[in-house]
Amino acid sequence: MTDFDHTAIDELLHSRVRLAIIAFLAGAQTADFSAVREAIKTTDGNASVHLRKLEDAGYIAARKRFVARKPQTLYALTENGRRALLDYVAHLEHLLPPGDVSGGQSTDGRQR
Amino acid sequence: MREDIAFIRHAVEEGRNYATASSPDIMIWGIAVAVGYIGTYAFVRGWSPLHPSWVWALCIGLPWLYSLRRLLPAFEQPCVDSPMARALSMLWLGCGVFLTTLAIAAIWSGDIRQGWFGAVVAGVLGIAFFVSAWLSNLGWLRWVALLWWVGELGVFALRHRPEVLPLSAALMLLLLAGPGLLLSLRRNSA
Repeated sequence: MTDFDHTAIDELLHSRVRLAIIAFLAGAQTADFSAVREAIKTTDGNASVHLRKLEDAGYIAARKRFVARKPQTLYALTENGRRALLDYVAHLEHLLPPGDVSGGQSTDGRQR
Repeated sequence: MREDIAFIRHAVEEGRNYATASSPDIMIWGIAVAVGYIGTYAFVRGWSPLHPSWVWALCIGLPWLYSLRRLLPAFEQPCVDSPMARALSMLWLGCGVFLTTLAIAAIWSGDIRQGWFGAVVAGVLGIAFFVSAWLSNLGWLRWVALLWWVGELGVFALRHRPEVLPLSAALMLLLLAGPGLLLSLRRNSA
């Protein structure tokens, strides 16, 4: 038996699109809908669905406002979302053999 | 697993590049330099008694103070920038230093009156936007670069006429402050 626990993997972040959104927002801090959609290279509909799921889970926060009379939605990573991303990365790193995490940098950009 | 971690790093880096490109500095510089050109035009036309040297000292000095605020401990970024985000910052810093030193030299020597400096500014800003488009993955900035290079031709053609000053001001507002405002609005919650 190994100590692998599949329940420890965050199902919500196991989707590549949602993982990309969370990781992009971790770097950007705040971004509007079109910036997120361009970053994850998907359609409006697909981006909306995934953003809604992340918002419902409390991983991102959305704020609506009007710019030049046009509606704009700004997204930001919440503390829950940041923790979920760090936990997810830590879990992935835990699954790798020791010393096999290449690059010497953590996902928050700090030198390790 | 390794690919997943690399994927996450790449996405975080893209986010950082986006944040760097969206800094309000571009907008501040665009407005300040446009005010400089308008102030100079007003002096040339006799509408303003303020000598262009003073106008430019303010219009270059103040945005530099704004851009260099990051060097102050109070504005220190909590995280280390990604290499691409750093490259983007250094590109604009390098262009800023080059244009400022050349402007000082041209004003000092009196060569600024020959009118070539505006075309150099437009060409350099075209390069800065063109490279920024690749580094930040914001493809539409390439069109801004193209417009700067078209503007460079216009500024060069009018270099001996006072109308080059309002044209340069318009370019600064439309092609520097405008994209800067758009990028800031897309990101900031101000």
